[in-house]
Amino acid sequence: MSTIVQIEPKKAPIPKDKIPRLLLVGNPNVGKSVIFGYLTGKYVTVSNYPGTTVEVSRGKMKYGGQEWEVVDTPGINSLAPQSDDERVTRDMLLDAEPDVIVQVADAKNLRRTLLITSQLAELKIPMVLVLNMMDEARHRGIEIDSKAISELFGIPVVTAVATEGEGLYSIFKSIVHAKVPNDPLEAQRNRALANEDFLQVLRPKTDKPLPLQLAVEWLQTQDSGFRRGAELWLKQVADGELENDAATRTRIRNCAARLEEARNVFLEKSVSQYKKVIPSVFRESNGAGLKVGMACLIAGLLLFAYTEIGRLVGLPTPYGWLNSLMDRSVIPGALSFFQNIHLGWLGSLLFGKLADDGKAYETGLLYPAITQFLVLIAPIMFPLAFVLRRSERFAERLGHWTRDWRTGAPLMIVILLLMYEFVGVIGAGTLVDALENNVFNVLLTPNLQKLIPAGILYDFFVGEYGLVSVGLTYALAIVLPIVMTFFIAFGLLEDSGYLPRLAILSDRVFRVMGLNGKAVLPMVLGLGCDTMATMTTRILETKKERLIATILLALGVPCSAQLGVILAISGSLSGWAMLTVFGVVLSQMFLVGYLSSKIVKGKRGDFIFEIPPIRVPVFKNVWTKTRYRMKWYLKEALPLFLLGTLILFVLDRVKVPTPWGRLSGLDMINNSLAPLVTGVLELPEKTAQVLVLGFLRRDYGAAGLYDMVGQNLMTPVQIVVSLIVLTLFIPCVANFFMIVREQGTKKALIILAFITPFAIAVGGVVNLILRVLKINF
Amino acid sequence: MHNWLSQDIVEVLESVWANEERGSSAVAEISQEAKTEVTEDLLAECEREGYLTRNGDGEIRLTALGRQTAGEIIRRHRLAERLVVDVLGMTLEESEADACEFEHFLAQGVTNAICTLLGHPRFCPHNHPIPEGECCRQIEAQVNSLVASIDRLEVGEEAKVAYVSASNFPRIRKLSSFGITPGVPIKLKQKFPSFVIQCDETQIALENDIARDIYVWRKSDDL
Repeated sequence: MSTIVQIEPKKAPIPKDKIPRLLLVGNPNVGKSVIFGYLTGKYVTVSNYPGTTVEVSRGKMKYGGQEWEVVDTPGINSLAPQSDDERVTRDMLLDAEPDVIVQVADAKNLRRTLLITSQLAELKIPMVLVLNMMDEARHRGIEIDSKAISELFGIPVVTAVATEGEGLYSIFKSIVHAKVPNDPLEAQRNRALANEDFLQVLRPKTDKPLPLQLAVEWLQTQDSGFRRGAELWLKQVADGELENDAATRTRIRNCAARLEEARNVFLEKSVSQYKKVIPSVFRESNGAGLKVGMACLIAGLLLFAYTEIGRLVGLPTPYGWLNSLMDRSVIPGALSFFQNIHLGWLGSLLFGKLADDGKAYETGLLYPAITQFLVLIAPIMFPLAFVLRRSERFAERLGHWTRDWRTGAPLMIVILLLMYEFVGVIGAGTLVDALENNVFNVLLTPNLQKLIPAGILYDFFVGEYGLVSVGLTYALAIVLPIVMTFFIAFGLLEDSGYLPRLAILSDRVFRVMGLNGKAVLPMVLGLGCDTMATMTTRILETKKERLIATILLALGVPCSAQLGVILAISGSLSGWAMLTVFGVVLSQMFLVGYLSSKIVKGKRGDFIFEIPPIRVPVFKNVWTKTRYRMKWYLKEALPLFLLGTLILFVLDRVKVPTPWGRLSGLDMINNSLAPLVTGVLELPEKTAQVLVLGFLRRDYGAAGLYDMVGQNLMTPVQIVVSLIVLTLFIPCVANFFMIVREQGTKKALIILAFITPFAIAVGGVVNLILRVLKINF
Repeated sequence: MHNWLSQDIVEVLESVWANEERGSSAVAEISQEAKTEVTEDLLAECEREGYLTRNGDGEIRLTALGRQTAGEIIRRHRLAERLVVDVLGMTLEESEADACEFEHFLAQGVTNAICTLLGHPRFCPHNHPIPEGECCRQIEAQVNSLVASIDRLEVGEEAKVAYVSASNFPRIRKLSSFGITPGVPIKLKQKFPSFVIQCDETQIALENDIARDIYVWRKSDDL
């Protein structure tokens, strides 16, 4: 029987004439990217794998005079693919003809590691195993016998803590020693198939050695894409013979079950042999420091709660005291210091200034952001980080509290409030004011206006729909600070391991809408930027889920810029009115989600994923991710802002003679929408323009609405109705293009054609109900 | 005891049992049901061995010995079906051949082990009752079954994965790539709003549909 799977191990060849290729393979979140970054430095390109939306990073590495191509593959749990990500990695392993595979693994999860190693062993490609995250393993008292594993597979095994830089150089050195792994499962496999003459069931296509177990596993899936690997080796699959052959399918299944069992036996044995757990000594500090830290944390939480409630009911709060202290002594001092060194503008940019009337206070970049941060955020964040670092046990408990609904729900509220303080108050409030008032509307636009002579150039850059006065100002002064603070907050949540817990808490809610808890990630990210969130719907497993999530993002999730403006407007509305807005939007999301879960064909993906431990976010990770997202925003979204402004400018300028006189394109669109807006929604005519602006950029629309409210043009009911319509309304242009990219033009147009009338209809109905019930807020 | 029974006699006993379940004892139906040709010689042989009795009207009934023997055969067959369907994830049509094979090589001890493994199922996938075995009668005394799906465990309870019931195959493989495979110790950490289990050094969140598919051996003082 051994003839079936006997394969000649090949030597590790590195052809002289081509650049050898190295593939990084491993489970998700095991530090592949960090190692990739180390190996390749900065010469990296990120591109989509052909035919998919899965991103693959490639880079170049040099070691010992030899240049290598390094590819970072998407994380996998098994080489038998279950998701697009896994499929891409599997296909790359088969097609890209890698010269060396570096498997990166989480040392503490030896079983999952060896599962992949044993699968890779079937492919007979030279490889190295990196046992990463050794520090976490050590903390848990886990010892791994890497030498024995190295002997078992006959490959180099390197231990590393990539985030700390430990062991990275050894990876470099090990690559040239990569060996074709032994296949320790061969004997078990032969025994499992002793009664099954496998080659009579499956005919190999070529004389290439058959990765038997993998082929059998690939055959198990119905999805043709996932089975592709089997086609490369098996004639019957390529010819489609197997499709109708029930008897053969049954035999294959029998084999699969037997092989799987054989592998499980092997994995059990290996794990018990190579992994020793020494009863873990928790890294507990000697008590005193920890107690102080805990006390500070509790004090910080109390201060937070008191300030939040105090501000609501108008009690004096520490925040108020600190601000008045700053107003009285610190700020005037700082301002006069800057004036003395002839940098008065810098002083007011940083610390703000009194308005010309001597009463109102204009914010600066640092103040009052700094007092907000000091009073509300720092007293919780810093003690929390301190305690988490000191006590593994506390980290574990916090991990527990955040996923149990009884403690998780209140903690979620605290976290969302903290996020609101950071993004909504500091980002959307202080920073936006400072940039808008001190830079764009004071320094940039007026000075440009002085420079450019009146005429078309003036209008083009700094006019009513000017590229600088409107496009750039909105993009950089209003949206950028909000998006940036949001991405920082999101990065912190991401790196701390909190987001998967949010998925656990919300799974049941999302199930009503045909999704599962994993959808919470794109939804929360949507609160930052819907366009980017639409892209991240890729993490959802089935097409159905991706489509529903995309619809919901487009329909109901307000992005940070929009949310900022909505919250600003909320100042002029009663609590009930705001509740109505959010209630209606949420209920429509549920309704549409529920209906589309019934209409859209397909299945909901299984809700199963790994929960990482709660840990203190690594600053570098958060910074890298925020930087990457900011870069993306500036590259992808900023041009669309400018394009949107440009379209507006053109629509405004080009005038066409009509029976009603010479009208601009903008007038015509507004006029055609106006009957709908004034008739159905009973809103001021100017709102039509806001809605048009809203399509070019949703937050534009919100900002336009903000202006109208500021000018007292609307009643509370009208504000509520227009907020609802605007939130539900068509996604911004950028979001629409992203939907086209992810879902195809046809689906994107259907979504557009559904949401537009739907938003207006909902607005009309809400208006009607409010009028009938005579609710004026 | 029936290991030396001829295949033909096994078939006859099985069809007589199945017939009695339907409340019939006509020879004609038995001939139709059996997968072997029911000849006069064969029936006579069964009668001679003391498994069944015939009366003048062509009615066939199992004797006490016949009932015991047939019950064990039926039990093995239906447990084998459960095993093939639940653990190996095949459809009933596909399973038929395999269940027959199993039926013939399962020894007494193995049958009871499989019965326990499957949580002492009471019905086969066709919804026919599975005759009770020694192990089932013992288990009745115990409050909890040794094998249960994860959703029946208490929070904090430790158990060992017995098998994953395969309502769909990708799910089994997905669970196995997370390390949830037969023999692996797990600990239930949370049941609501989602299930959380600890497996190896990893915490895994599951929805209840999946939790219901994972059958585990509960820790018991007897084991």
